[in-house]
Formats: sequence, C-alpha cells, structure tokens
Amino acid sequence: MKQRYFSTWMLTQRSHLKTLPQKKVLALLLAAACLSQSPVQADAAANNAGALLYYTEDGAFDLGNVFFQGTEVRGRVTGDDGQGVPGATVVVKGTAVGTATDAEGNFTLGVPSGSGTLVVSFIGYKTQEVQINNRTNVNVTLSTDAQALDEVVVTGYAVQEKKDLTGSVAVVDVSEMTKQPSPQVASMLQGRAAGVTVQGSGQPGQAQQIRIRGFNTFGNNSPLYVVDGVPTQNINDINPNDIASMQVLKDAGSASIYGSRAANGVVIITTRGGGKEKVTVQYDGYYGTQRPPQGNVWDLANPQEMADLTFRALRNTEPGEPIEHPIYGSGANPVVPDYLVAGTATGLMEGDPRVDPNLYNVNPSYTGGSGDLGSFYRIVKANKEGTDWFHEIFKPAPITSHNIAVSGGSDIGKYYFSANYFDQKGTLLETYFKRFTIRSNSQFNLGKKVRVGENLAYSVIDNPLLDLSGESPINMAYREQTIIPVYDIMGNYGGSFGGGLGNARNPVAQLQRRRNNNTLNTRLFGNVFAEADILRDFTLRTSFGGEMYNNTNRSFTFPEYEGSENNTFNQFEQNGNNGYNWTWTNTLAYHRNFNDVHDLRVLVGTEAYDNFSNNLGGISQGYFSYDPNFTDLSTDAGSQTNTSSRSADALFSLIGRIDYNLMDKYLVGFVIRRDGSSRFLNNQYGTFPAVSAGWRISQETFMQNIAWISDLKLRGGYGVMGNQLNVDPGNAFTTYGQDRNLSFYDINGTNTSTTLGFRRSRIGNPDAKWETNVNSNIGIDATLFNGALDVTADYYHKEIRDLLYNPELPGTAGGATIPFVNVAKIQNRGFDGAVTGHIQATSDLRFDITGTLTTYKNEILKVSNGAQNFDQETRRFNGSYIIRNRVGDAMSSFFGYQIDGFWDDEAEIIAANQQAQAESGDPNAIYQTDVKVGRFRYADIDGDGMITPDDRTILGSPNPNFTYGLNIAATYKNFDFTMFLYGSQGNEIWNQVKWWTDFYPNFAGAKSKTAVYDSWTPENHNATAPIQEAEGSFSTTTVPNSYYVEDGSYLRAKNVQLGYTLPAGFTGKYGVERLRIYIQGANLFTITNYSGVDPEITGYNTDGTIKTSNFGIDEGNYPNMRQYLFGVNVSF
Amino acid sequence: MAALMATGMQLFTSCGDDFLEKPALGALDPTLVANKAGVEALLIGAYAALDGQGNGAAITGGGQWEAAPTNWIYGSVAGGDAHKGSSGSDQPAINAIANFITDPSNGFVNTKWRAMYEGISRTNSVLTLLAEAKDISEDDAKRLAAEARFLRGHYYFELKKMFNMVPWIDETTTDINQPNNVDIWPNIEADFKFAMENLPNSQAQVGRANKWAAAAYLGKTYMYEHEFADAKTIFDEVIGSGVTSNGLKYGLVDRFKDNFDASAENNKESVFAIQMVANDGTNTISNANQGEMLNYPYNSPFRCCGFYQPTLDLANSYQTDAQGLPLVESYNADPLKNDQGVSSDVTFTPDQQSVDPRLDWTVGRRGIPFLDWGLHPGQAWIREQNTAGPYSAKKHIYWQATADTYSDQHSWAPGSAINVLIIRFADVLLMAAEAEAQLGNLEQAQTYVDMVRARAAKPENIVYQYVDPSKPLAGFSSTPAATYNVAAYPTGYFAGLGKDQALRAIYFERKLELALEGHRFFDLVRWGIAEEELNEFFAYEGAIIPDVRGAKFTAGTNEYYPIPQRQIDLQTINGVSTLTQNPGYVQ
Repeated sequence: MKQRYFSTWMLTQRSHLKTLPQKKVLALLLAAACLSQSPVQADAAANNAGALLYYTEDGAFDLGNVFFQGTEVRGRVTGDDGQGVPGATVVVKGTAVGTATDAEGNFTLGVPSGSGTLVVSFIGYKTQEVQINNRTNVNVTLSTDAQALDEVVVTGYAVQEKKDLTGSVAVVDVSEMTKQPSPQVASMLQGRAAGVTVQGSGQPGQAQQIRIRGFNTFGNNSPLYVVDGVPTQNINDINPNDIASMQVLKDAGSASIYGSRAANGVVIITTRGGGKEKVTVQYDGYYGTQRPPQGNVWDLANPQEMADLTFRALRNTEPGEPIEHPIYGSGANPVVPDYLVAGTATGLMEGDPRVDPNLYNVNPSYTGGSGDLGSFYRIVKANKEGTDWFHEIFKPAPITSHNIAVSGGSDIGKYYFSANYFDQKGTLLETYFKRFTIRSNSQFNLGKKVRVGENLAYSVIDNPLLDLSGESPINMAYREQTIIPVYDIMGNYGGSFGGGLGNARNPVAQLQRRRNNNTLNTRLFGNVFAEADILRDFTLRTSFGGEMYNNTNRSFTFPEYEGSENNTFNQFEQNGNNGYNWTWTNTLAYHRNFNDVHDLRVLVGTEAYDNFSNNLGGISQGYFSYDPNFTDLSTDAGSQTNTSSRSADALFSLIGRIDYNLMDKYLVGFVIRRDGSSRFLNNQYGTFPAVSAGWRISQETFMQNIAWISDLKLRGGYGVMGNQLNVDPGNAFTTYGQDRNLSFYDINGTNTSTTLGFRRSRIGNPDAKWETNVNSNIGIDATLFNGALDVTADYYHKEIRDLLYNPELPGTAGGATIPFVNVAKIQNRGFDGAVTGHIQATSDLRFDITGTLTTYKNEILKVSNGAQNFDQETRRFNGSYIIRNRVGDAMSSFFGYQIDGFWDDEAEIIAANQQAQAESGDPNAIYQTDVKVGRFRYADIDGDGMITPDDRTILGSPNPNFTYGLNIAATYKNFDFTMFLYGSQGNEIWNQVKWWTDFYPNFAGAKSKTAVYDSWTPENHNATAPIQEAEGSFSTTTVPNSYYVEDGSYLRAKNVQLGYTLPAGFTGKYGVERLRIYIQGANLFTITNYSGVDPEITGYNTDGTIKTSNFGIDEGNYPNMRQYLFGVNVSF
Repeated sequence: MAALMATGMQLFTSCGDDFLEKPALGALDPTLVANKAGVEALLIGAYAALDGQGNGAAITGGGQWEAAPTNWIYGSVAGGDAHKGSSGSDQPAINAIANFITDPSNGFVNTKWRAMYEGISRTNSVLTLLAEAKDISEDDAKRLAAEARFLRGHYYFELKKMFNMVPWIDETTTDINQPNNVDIWPNIEADFKFAMENLPNSQAQVGRANKWAAAAYLGKTYMYEHEFADAKTIFDEVIGSGVTSNGLKYGLVDRFKDNFDASAENNKESVFAIQMVANDGTNTISNANQGEMLNYPYNSPFRCCGFYQPTLDLANSYQTDAQGLPLVESYNADPLKNDQGVSSDVTFTPDQQSVDPRLDWTVGRRGIPFLDWGLHPGQAWIREQNTAGPYSAKKHIYWQATADTYSDQHSWAPGSAINVLIIRFADVLLMAAEAEAQLGNLEQAQTYVDMVRARAAKPENIVYQYVDPSKPLAGFSSTPAATYNVAAYPTGYFAGLGKDQALRAIYFERKLELALEGHRFFDLVRWGIAEEELNEFFAYEGAIIPDVRGAKFTAGTNEYYPIPQRQIDLQTINGVSTLTQNPGYVQ
C-alpha cells in the first residue's frame, strides 16, 4: 500500500490564511515540513484518510492498477467558516480511489459506484464521512478540530499523530512561542513544555540552563537537540523565526530511539519548509529597549554610613584602642575626606598642597610594568554622594531583529529561504550579541518516487561572552566602595588604590577595557537527504547532515593603575577553534494497514556520527601600542605562547522501531537501538530497548455515550536510555604527556628557561561502559468537552545506573586526569502536566489558556565506591564548600552550619559551654569555636553538645519543588493579546553577595545598609546580621552557614503582548496579505521574596557556559532585564 | 519482523568497529615513553613537581600558596615566625592553621597532601618505565633510579613531618588505598641511602640532586628520628667532603643575602634547591616561585597581596647584647620599637637598639632599606596593620635592579626566579651542631654555630643607608641603616651553658638564621618544645596583634596536621576508610 502527500495540499491558501486560526496555518506549514523530513511522517498524516493516492509529475492522478470505471463526483469542501479548504483529502472509503481539493476547495473524483462513502479529511479538521447516495455533486463542510488530535508530531525518525503517541512527548505550541520574539530558541521553551525546566541569565547570547525531568548526571545535563533530523548539542545560532515545530521527548518510550544520547531528553526541532505554489514573502521585525532595574539594588551604604560602620567595627574589635584609618582619620568620629588619594597620601582635605593637580602623573597606557606604576601620582576626589556602581555598569540598551522569509513551491519541489539579522546590546557595558543567519530549505521531486532536498543554515555571530563564573565585574560593582568615583580628577579611572579602600576593581574600567574584544563565530549546519519509495510499502531514506564551524576570539588585557592590586602587563590573546561533525542516517520504513484493523509501521536503520575539533590559540605581551588595529600575535615584543589541541570521537548505531495500532484503540510501540561509542574500549556497544503502549479508552464502545469525553488515552512505557556525553574521548587510555606549566623544569639552573619533562597525564579506564537510564512513565491524554479542554499528565520514575562519573581519586593516585567510571547512581521522580482550555466567549472573543506544571525530585543514590558525597563551590570560604552532593539528597544541595540566633550575652555562652562540658565529660570542652557576644550561635544538629563539622547540614536546595507556566491568549476581532507567566516554587538561592556586603571584615568593600542598620548591637538583639567586627571568624563569616540561604521562589511575567492585525481589505489594496503590529513587554514584573537582584539564578562554568549542575549561587548574576518591544509581521 | 530486525542488526554490528577506533590525541602512549629519552623526561617531570605548582593553581588544584614548597604557612606561620597577614577574612583557612584549630576538612592540608603524592606518583612513573625500557645502560639506570628515589624521599619527608602517619606508595604498589599504619621513616631512609650510594659527586646539570644532597637529607632524616649518632656520622662526611652538584665545596657564602638572590644562586651553600624560573615563555608564573605570590607588600611596587608578615616576636629575637650575642631567654622583655599604628605620613625613627644584621635581610621594617626598593614606608605597604602587625617578609623579595630578569609579572601577583632552598649549608651546620650537642660534644657544636654567626658578622652583611633615599637604585652609603652588632660566642661558652642551655642557643640560632624559610614549626615539634614555645608566643604576640589572640597549641594533637578528611573519605575499601586520623582531631 502506497500513500503519498502531494503538493495540491499546498495550493495557495490566501483566503485561508486570513481566516484560519493560527494553529491551522501552522498545521499547513508543519505538513510541508513533514514532507521534507520523512516519508513515515507523510504516511502518518495521509493514513488518516485511510486511503491511498498517487500523484504524477504532470499533476494528474494515477490510480495505479485500478481501472477507472463508474461515475464522476464533484464538490467543494469548506470549513466551518465557509471558506474553501484547499488540499483536503477526498477518498472513497475502502478503496484506493481518492483526490485532493484545489485552491478553492473544489474536487472532482471518479468513483467506482455511486453508492460509496466519501471520507474527507484535513489536518485541523475532524474527518467526515459522507455517503454519495448517487449524487454527482457532494459538498462537505468540515468542522474544526480544536484539539488537533491529528496534529502531526515528529518523534524519533518518524512522525505520529498526537492521538497515536504512546510515549511522553511535550508538543510545544510553536505559534504562541514564535509570536513572542526571543533571541534564542532554548529560552522559548521556558514554561511551555511540561517536564522542562529552563533558567537563563540576562547576558546576551548566553546559553540557557535546560533540564528535562531533573538531573541525570553530575556533568552535562543538556538535552540532545535533533534539528531536521541532525543531532546536535548547540542550538544557540538557530534563528527562532525558522522553527516550524518543537517536540520534547521525555521518556524512554519516545526517546530511546535516540539511545545513547537520549538520557537527558531529546528536543526535536523542525525548521520551516516551503509548500505554496505562490511565492510568499514574510517580514518580521522588532525593535526594543532593555531596562535595568532601578534603585539601590544591593542596598549599599553611602560613604558617611560606611565611615560610621568602619569605626563601629574597629571599636567592636579593639575597644578603647585609638583608631588610625587611612581614609577617615584618627578622630573620635570618622571624617569623610574631600580626596581619597594624592600620591601615596590618603584621606586628604581640599586645600592640601598634595592635591595640587600639577603633581598629577598617570599614564593609563603605560608599558613600563611595575616601574612605571610605582612612579604614578594619582589624585582621586571622594564621591561623597556615593557612586551607584550598578547603574554605572548597567545602562538601557537596544535590541533589534529583522527577519525575512521567502517560501514557495510547485510540483517539482518547494523551498524556504530566510535571512535574519539580530542585534542585542547588553545592558551591561560592552556586552552584546550580534547574529546573522541565513537558511535555505528546499526539496525536489525526481519523478513520483524519489525526493531529494536539503536544509542548510549558515550563521555568523559576534558575541564576546563575559566570564561570570567567579568574581566578575558585576561582583566588583557591589564590592567597590561607593566613595570611590568612576574617574579621577583628570578623567582616568578611579579605584581602590591608596589603602582603606579594599581591593575591588573598578567595574567600569574592567568592562570598558573589554571594548575591543570580539568574536567571529561561523557555523554551517544542516543536512541533505534523499528518499525513495520502493516495492509496495517501503520507503528508503538517507540523510547526511552535520555542522562545520569556525570560531575566533580576540581579547586584550590592559595594564591597570587605579586599584590596589593592579595588573601591570598588557596582553593580547587570540583563540580559534574549528571542526566538524556529521551524522549519516539511513532508514528503511515499512507501513501497511490491514483492513483498517491492523496498522503496522516498522523502521530499521543505521546511523553513524563522526566528530572532530581543532583548537589553536596564542598569547603575547609587550605591545608598543594598544590600538586594536595594531595588536596581533605577530606585533608583540613579549614571549609568544601558543596552544593547540584536537579531539575526535564517533558513534555507530543500529535503529529499530515498530508501531502497531489495533483498531485505533490499542497502540504498542517498540524501539530498540544499539550504539557503539569510540569513547569506550572494551565495552563499546550498548543496547537500549523500550516498549510503550497506549489504550484509547474513548474509542471503546462503552465510552461512546460519555459525551464530554472526546478523547481519552492511557499511556505507559518502560525502557532504557544511555549516556556517554561526559566521557572524554581519551578516557580509555593511560597516557603520558608534557605541559610547560606542570612538567617542565629548569634543571640547568638558568633562571630563564625550562627543560622538557613528562608526567602521567591521564589514567585510563578501558572498561567503562554505557550508563543506563532506566525509565518508566505513565500518562494520560484527554480531550474533553468537545475539544474545549486538553489534558496531558505524566508521572515518571527514572534511575540512572552505572552512571559515568569521574569521582575524585585518593591523592595517592597522583594528579593525572581521572577517568570516568561507572559508579554513581541517581534517581528522579516527578509529575508533569499541561492543561489547555479553549473558550470561544463570543464570536469575536476567544481565549486559549495553557498551563504547565513540572516537578522533579532528584535523589543521589550513590556517588562512588568510597565517598558518600562530593563538594563543590568553595568561593571565599576556602577549605569549606557551599554545595554538597550527598547520597540521599538532591544534587547541588547547600551545606553548612544552621544559625540558631545570636549569642546575646556572656551568660548564654557560659551556659552552652557548661552544657558541652557536662555532655562530653571534658572540662575544657566548649560549645562552639570563636564565640563572642553578637556572633552567630550554630545549631547542634547531631546533639553531642558541641559544634563540630558533623553539625553541618543540608541548608536548602536550588531545585524547585515545581515550576509552572501559564499562557493566556485572547483574540478579539483583529486584536490579539497574550500573557505568559513563568514561576518556580520552593527553590533556595545561596546569596553569596551578602558575604561581601553584610559583614564588615570581608575585604573592606562596600557594605550594605543591613550591616549598618540591622546588625547585632547591644541595643538590637533582633538583628539580621551579626555584630560588625574587623575580623572574620568561624562564628560569623569564615564558614558557610544558613545566613546566605534564601527562598528563591518567584513568579514572573515573562511576556505580555498586544497585537493588532490590520484588516485584510485594507492591506490587500497594497498587495499586503497580512500586516500585524504588536507591542511586547518582557519581564514586566516579578513576584518574589528573594532579596537579590534577580531570582533566576543559573551559575556559570569557567568557559562561560551555564552550569547544568552545581548551581543556584548568586555572587552577582547578570539579571534578566525588563524589555519593551515594538514589532511588525508582514506577509506578501 | 522482529526476527528480521535482529538479523539486520547482526549484519550491521561488525561494520562500525574500525570506525569507532579513536585513539587519544596529543598524548603519549606508555610504549612511546619506555626508553632512555622518555624516562629522562619523566625524571625532569618528577623534579618539576618540587614546586607543587601548576598554571594559576597548585599542581593538583587548590590555591598556589596551599602547596608552596617553602611551607611558609605550615612551617613559618604555624611556627610563629610570621602572621598570615593581609586582611582578616582573606584566606581564612590560614587563620585556622595559625591558631591550631585546623579542621580535618581544611582544604589547605588536602592541597599539600595531593601535591606531594603527585610528586611521588611521578617518581614512581620513572621507576616503573625505567624497568620497562630496553635501551638504558646500567649506570644510567642507577643514576635515574637514584635521582627518582631522592625526590621520592623528599616528597615523603614533607608528608612525614606534616602528617606523621601517611600511606606508602611506591613503584610496586598496585592498590592506591594503602593504610597509614606504618612509620615510613625507614622507607625514607632507604630512599636517601640508595640515592647517596648511587648518585655521582657532581652532576652535569646543577638542578639535579647529587650524592651529597642525598647525604645531607639522610642526616636530616636521622635528626627527625632523633638518631643523633647516625646524624653526626653523616654530617661529618657532608661537612668534610660535600660538594654541590656543580662541584663547589660546601661552605657559607659571605653575603647572607646571596642565599635569597636569584643572581647568586646555586652557590656553595646550596645543598639542594628547587630551581625557579622567571619569564620562561609561558606568560604565566607557574615555574616562578608562585607559592610566594601573596607575600609581597601591599600598595607597593609589588602590587599584591600583603601576606606573610613577620611577627613582633621574630623581630624582637634579633636584638643583641653589647657582646653581639642574642637575648635567647629575654628577647621579648624590651621589644624592638616598631611603627604599629603610625601613619606613613608621620615621622618615625627606627629603633637604635643593637640588632643582628640578619634582621634586616629577613624582616622588612619601616625606615630601613627594603633591598633596593627604597625605605620601607611602614603602614602604606601594610594591608591592615591592625590585623597582622607592621612588618613585611623580605627573604623572597627580588631586587629592583634585576627585577626585569628575576621577577615575573605575568600574573595578578609576582613570581620570581629565587630558588627555594630545601637544604642550605647553614642548615646542615646547625643540624650538625645539634647532633654534636645531643652527643655531648658542646665544643664542636659551638664551632658549627659560630661558623654561622661569624658569617652574619661579616661586614658584607650590614645593611647600609642609601646614598639618596629618593633614588634607591643609586646605591648604598657606608652608614649602617641600624645599629648592628653580632658576634660569635666566646670560646667555651657552650661548655659553660651545659647541654640543655647549649641546645637552646642552637635552637635560637636556627630561628634567627632560618627564619621565614619554612622550618620553624617542624623544628619546634622535632625538639619537643612546640607547646611551651608556641603558647608563650601566643601569650606575647596575641596581646598585641589580634589574629593570634587566644590561640592555643594542644600537645598530643597539634604536633601534626590532621589527615585530610577528604582523603579519609576517598580512601575506602568496602565503605571502610583505610586511613586513620591523627590523635586529637575530629574522627
């Protein structure tokens, strides 16, 4: 049995477009996209008609071997709006006879006899059966099928109709998603797909932290993206306007077909294709502004408050001692000076001869190293009002996007072409994201049985990401004292030089010195494919795709002069990396329907993946000039260092899939994948099977009388997915190597040069094998009240066994790279669901409301054969860690001492010590180290009467109890309104900013009003912060404790948009098919108790990427900005 | 159909095997290293671990200073030579070490532990692949093995003196989860003995250990084991016949400061030194005495970071009496005047009390030339006087005149080419003096001590005023910067003191001569007087400087650092740790 889509489906739908709900437009586009992707997909849609169609090059129907005899029936298929439905399928039930409607919805069909029944179907409409009754003219009105059960869903190497899904698949409403512009595809998933947790930062171009159903590994938890059939880890450069559909495969039943790479979940992205006979040109553009939050966001003290706090802290530490402060003097009360520094003198008043500008000497472009630096005479005026460092570095910034897409097609093929220019300036100085992408998707029909095509995208990106992993310029903005001005008296930078001003760097200087840094990243991504129909029921498809990329970045380090810890060198660094990877997929698909009772699809295939990357970099110093047009790796006078490295890995896979459907009621899916990975040596292959089943209860006769249930399906699945993503390609091998920094030595005693030396660089594990992610899922899909309500809900349980992890080895193993071994174990459980309601309030007013809910409960079951935990993130608590990954708890949990109030008087201390002595029997025992009145009292968690390391406990978790999204869309006549809310509930944040601002002794930086007004004093026992002292202690600041843990729950209005579509009659006069304008606000409000700037906290790796594990620490986040956009969508 | 699929899979399975062969790139397979050139390079790698440093971090992670080969934290700060310095909350783990409240989870001790075992692992790699190589002559094999075992002895010595009970891993060990239930002094002795017996007198390359370095280290091992007779025997040999790797007869250099000047290094006093390099082309300071990077005056030409500030107690120790002899028992009675609490703007005159000139090569103090960098300005160079006192450390400071060559500014704080002296000849003499005194030979003991004092008394060791304080590079005048008076002990002085008092004088000499060189704490423990000396120190110093106020050394516990909790956690077999915590620490 052969079935075929044909291009009459894609006849011009000019009238259609104006009136059909967006969802149907989407369906059309989707159908086009499907056609370019996979024959099975086409089968899925066509199968709905239960018939078969042939189509020849000349446009005539070829009815195969069926000799045409009988009568001719004509008619028109219209929608419930009265418009003709083009491309609808009309077949004679039980035969191979059929056709499709033309552009106006008309059809002509020769039927074997006048007594048959016509089956008329089209995506987005309910299928209708009409008896011919010997009529020659049969008009059919299709009613819309709001819940679109026939919606085609792209799953692994196949397409299925939504009603036939047995796995857990979240289908993203792309129309809603793309209507609300967003720079990146990943951020558009936030709150829109149940089971997916997304967090992002405000830094332009920064990848998002995405997790599908919790944590699966201690390493990279990012899902696999499959773009037009090509697996990739990187979708940053995909133009969001090009997306036609997006599906998230969450459980083994749906994702195991991607076997080895499916463990973190799979996001299937299909880009748009052509399809219309007529050329359509579409322009989408917007311009907007991003606004940083107002006010004193870190609640920092002004210079006078800081001066008072300083003296108070000194007196608390050394009562009665005279104070000699470099800035505030030695009087009884601190004096805020007029000048901070003049030469080496500090804290000067107007009129002091040392502040004479004639003495000033600073050369900001000095090349003479510390010699020059030592000769400078700085004069810096105090900013008595206080510098608002946050607003010195965060300024309103524009964002703009222009997108043009051209699509069309004919019998011989179809095409889609787009070009996008996106330019986002960051609100943080000198951060930006510029992206230019073009895409060309096309398909050609070679005869009626062979199709070839390509999907290709080329992107050019300039996006010098700021490293926010440690103490970044944002961190400096709350550390640099407010008394320090941005610039000195001559317009050079002001800073902490001079004593008493801490050691923070001037963040404006830091950021402006990056101004000439840039990147040039290019990437070609896509695939070419061919498919052929062979024999009767088989389709052979081959797809070769992948990427080639080339990234270059240039950066310059300027010498500094304004701070207390200046870099004196100038340095230029250039790095490049390039590489490719390809995936070659070959599949053979079989589909046959047996008497409308049995429907069987089988797919087998192979897939090969090969990856290679290349890095090249150089550094040099000693530049004569810092002019960016001059600095190259060959225009230096310093010693040049260069680096290069390569990496290669490969996968080879066999794929099998069976989907069986009995009477449209009982659905069974079976997938299996066998994967081989070059990252393993002795156990290269792993097999990943999954079974899933669905029962469409609503199809049972006993359900037919329950009118309010339109569709009800129970699904369940069990299977295994694999992972090897974190394993380094060289993991299997013990190797030796050299490193100038680590293994070279000056054995000749030259003082200036070293000799080659080796060390063991890697400990190999040839026995590593695939980790397995054993996954079970149960879910329901329901369509209720005649399509007014859709419900999808899933409960899942997954256990990651033989988890590949590189647990730290005992020190006795030496320092070579530690291998990944199959030791750890993690479990995730959770619920995710989505509810969609459609309310047609009046004929003009319609609401579409979707809510999603995502939960995951993560539990570490095993870390390694020895240790019960491993710790991460020490920050400034050197020796103590903030995050503990402990068996029995969720990943990335916060860990430390629990604060149990303050020591309000000596009597409390004595009582606690006596208690400790009584319980321990040790007359010298004390309750807690470093105790003083006004400091924190820690809770005795283990009840031994003393504070010991065993009293450290889990203080919170950055993992939310649940996240949720609510999308409210309303249309009224030509107006459309959407509001999208996203929330996260029950997650904690480690607010490390407070370590710097709420405790006086921590690096003499700027302090908060909390430290000034709400710290413990003999008069204020009901304080927030402890007594302010000049020294840190165990009982205040030197160990992680619960002071920093805050509730990070929030509800945020991600997007609010109001659009207006100009009347077609008006725009049509100017040849414009459709013209819509809109205004949009993003991040308009956030409801949270979190005291920091932005509760959406991710965390960064040192390479600038977002952490997908150990996260939730705020040490100066790049906040998400409020955005206001004006946009226009036009099509011709 | 399933059967068909199964068959299909069978057919396909073997196709991918070649395709999936991806060997490690940019790395050497062991077979490429098991030859003479490879093993020689592995040995260089084993030397390279001596500095404990990598790029921007310690060699196996952690802060650079946490694995500093000078042991400035574990030996000098913990021994009362110096305060941590900087500001109170900077590197708080050092506060815990200085106050003897080190928790087993303190990351510093773990960093040091791991850095030393990386060194051991490298020496074991040499020995393992040496055995596999086919092209190495017997002589070469002996030398290679001897150098490797010398280095291994050094790494274990570091571990032994810090942690006492540590697991022994050598080239024959297959399970790295070795217990720490055996005293490894005999193993360390064996390594040094093997090295001594198989190493040549001199080496083609000055950085290599020779026979005499091994002998001196063996002597030091005996001192730690209190085997004074064995120590004396070997020190007699070292002092009598020892030469440096470059063939110089051991002796004391005339200028004390030459021990700490990169332009004068690898001299006759250098028994074994870690070779440091500046500006080696890496654009990093990873091979440039990186462990000291924090220890430069603040807001100064050195930029960062104001750590490692000598204690008042140490500075006071250099006071001398009219005869030029130290005030061994009363040096804190009339303390040296200092500029604590005095702004750099306010005039200050240094103390005119007579001092040992070694003070002004060891401690940077207000008003005294800080090498050729100018007069130490006092408070302006101190990050927080009220945290850690008025002084700056001096021995690791490079000279301005040669800074372009010997300092390395490729980082946020400086590196230098100044070698780290693991053993210098003055150290050998003072250990020999101790051994002699322990054996009752007080006269010989005094002879050794006097050799050290006589060198200090040489006119070359006086610190002179600048010709022009505003142009420190223009040179020094002939006016001493302070009142210097140091002399050898009068004949028969030690005999008059008796053994115990003579030992106290030797111990005190060691404090003066080797101050800030990472020895003090380990010496105090070795002598069994840590509790008494340190608690006395805390009482004195803590009354003035808050960072050690209230600190207490607990005998029976604080002699050794805790076994790192991380290692106890990691070294387990069937959930039971193979490591035992040192006594007195939280188990």
